[in-house]
Amino acid sequence: MMSDLLPGRNGQRDLDASDIVEIVPSALLILDGNLNIISANGAFYHDFRTSPENTLGRQLYELGSRQWDIPALHGLLEDVIRLGTPLVGFEVAHEFPAVGRRTILLSARKVLRPGDQTGFVVLAFEDVSTERAAREDSRRNWQLTQSIVDTIRDPLVVLEQDMTVVTASKAFLTMFGITQEDARGRRVSELGQHQWDVPALRHLMEKVLPENKPFDSFEIEDDFPNLGRRIFNLNARKITQPGNHSHRMLLVFEDVTDRKQRERDALLLTNEISHRIKNNLQIIVGLIAFEAKQTAAPCVQGYRAMQSRIAAIAQLYDLISQSSRGSTIAVDDYLREIAKTMSSSLLAPGSDITIEVRAAALEIDPDRAVPFGLLVNELATNAIKHAFPGGAGHVILSVRRSGDQVELTVADNGIGMQPKSAAEVPEKRGSDYVAIFVRQLGGTIVPASNREPGTVVTILLPGLLDRRAA
Amino acid sequence: MAVILVVEDDVFIREIAEFMLLDWGHEILSASDVDEGLQQLRRPQHIDALFTDIYLKSAVLGGCELARQAISLRPELRVLYTTGNAITDAMKSMFVAGTECLRKPYSERQLQNSVEHLLAPQS
Repeated sequence: MMSDLLPGRNGQRDLDASDIVEIVPSALLILDGNLNIISANGAFYHDFRTSPENTLGRQLYELGSRQWDIPALHGLLEDVIRLGTPLVGFEVAHEFPAVGRRTILLSARKVLRPGDQTGFVVLAFEDVSTERAAREDSRRNWQLTQSIVDTIRDPLVVLEQDMTVVTASKAFLTMFGITQEDARGRRVSELGQHQWDVPALRHLMEKVLPENKPFDSFEIEDDFPNLGRRIFNLNARKITQPGNHSHRMLLVFEDVTDRKQRERDALLLTNEISHRIKNNLQIIVGLIAFEAKQTAAPCVQGYRAMQSRIAAIAQLYDLISQSSRGSTIAVDDYLREIAKTMSSSLLAPGSDITIEVRAAALEIDPDRAVPFGLLVNELATNAIKHAFPGGAGHVILSVRRSGDQVELTVADNGIGMQPKSAAEVPEKRGSDYVAIFVRQLGGTIVPASNREPGTVVTILLPGLLDRRAA
Repeated sequence: MAVILVVEDDVFIREIAEFMLLDWGHEILSASDVDEGLQQLRRPQHIDALFTDIYLKSAVLGGCELARQAISLRPELRVLYTTGNAITDAMKSMFVAGTECLRKPYSERQLQNSVEHLLAPQS
């Protein structure tokens, strides 16, 4: 066909053009100067589900349902024929009877043979329907994403893999006083006054996409134009668009300034209260020290025990102010602090008496923590005072959960319980306190088993566990 | 025995501490805040150790700042802190290296142990 239409001047086939045209995958037409179709390749017949009978000899505009009869195309093809101006990528979207809706890019070029000024027009049809549909889907998805992004109150940006901004939410643009154009294409580290140009943040961000490693609550505090000093928590995670293999990063800026300020105010207040309480307790301990100096030696132990009780209460305030979970008391920390204070206040430096804590990780009711701490203090003080006349021994403070109860055991490897004598009456006060604290806590003293050597006191305490943690 | 600068804004607590230290044979210098403490440290007098409260009047970490400046004035000075507040990591990060903190309320024995440890010969 083409060989018939593109003959050599001597009538021989000096160029087998049909072979060339047939191997081109796009649909092609060869037109004369009146846009009558001289030839078509197989791809044309296949793509438009048509035949040579319905194509050859007909004018381009008459084909099919006259889908190519477009006024704008007329002028462009005239330019191809008259002026030799190539036509590139003229887009036609049409509902074709046999193949459905298609988007076709038309390109045309005039071809002249030596000595032949009339020439031919080669018209190529590139079907870009799939690409256009994908682009449209992508646009719709992106519009949806953008509308979701704009409804989120926290400022956020979406970043490309190279950390440049694809889009920023309205909240982000409003808060930082920039336009979408200002933000788009720039790196986060370049925005504003470079507040986000922090090496540790950059390091975290570089892992979000390649390692799918999100991060939360990266805190940045800085002065921002028109905002003043602000604190932001930055959170980032990988996002994937449906039907798209590319990944992007969502970076959210949570303004936590007010919350942080409230926390700081609360901490300052806690510190101030703690400072005053401890100073008042220090005054009481000092007064006791004064009294102890003017008191006969047998009473000094009593004063020291009193100082130790005050210290046990003081430990509680430290634990409450340190606790990140409100006023919940971690019993293991509490016991360790009490043991440390007892060691330093009741035992001489280099003493051969040691105190060991074996405590399960339990949270106890803060309302009951003071009598519990004082109970432990009394039992351990009794052990230190009475169990080791030789000045050497070991005391174990242990706490474990037993059903809904807490089982407290204070054990020593000393001389064991001795029969009380009249001379020991003042020393009995500690045991009295034990009974009072056990009653206050609604506990039960478990009868001691015959165990040698030493003394073991076990007390079951119901309702001591923190109800929120139980 | 040693010369110890006691810095504490609560007069009663300071005097009780001084009373105890005097009782153990030490010499005492007194101050109630950072400025007074620095004045004592800048005078041409011998001082072995600084025993300072951390929360001094309105300065939440005043004792930490005082100790830092004290060491720059007198690098050989021994330092013992005391506080009624919980000892946080942020607070610890401001401590002069190798120092300790005595928590309030401290007993006479606890203060004595801490001061003996403070003044012990360093290896």
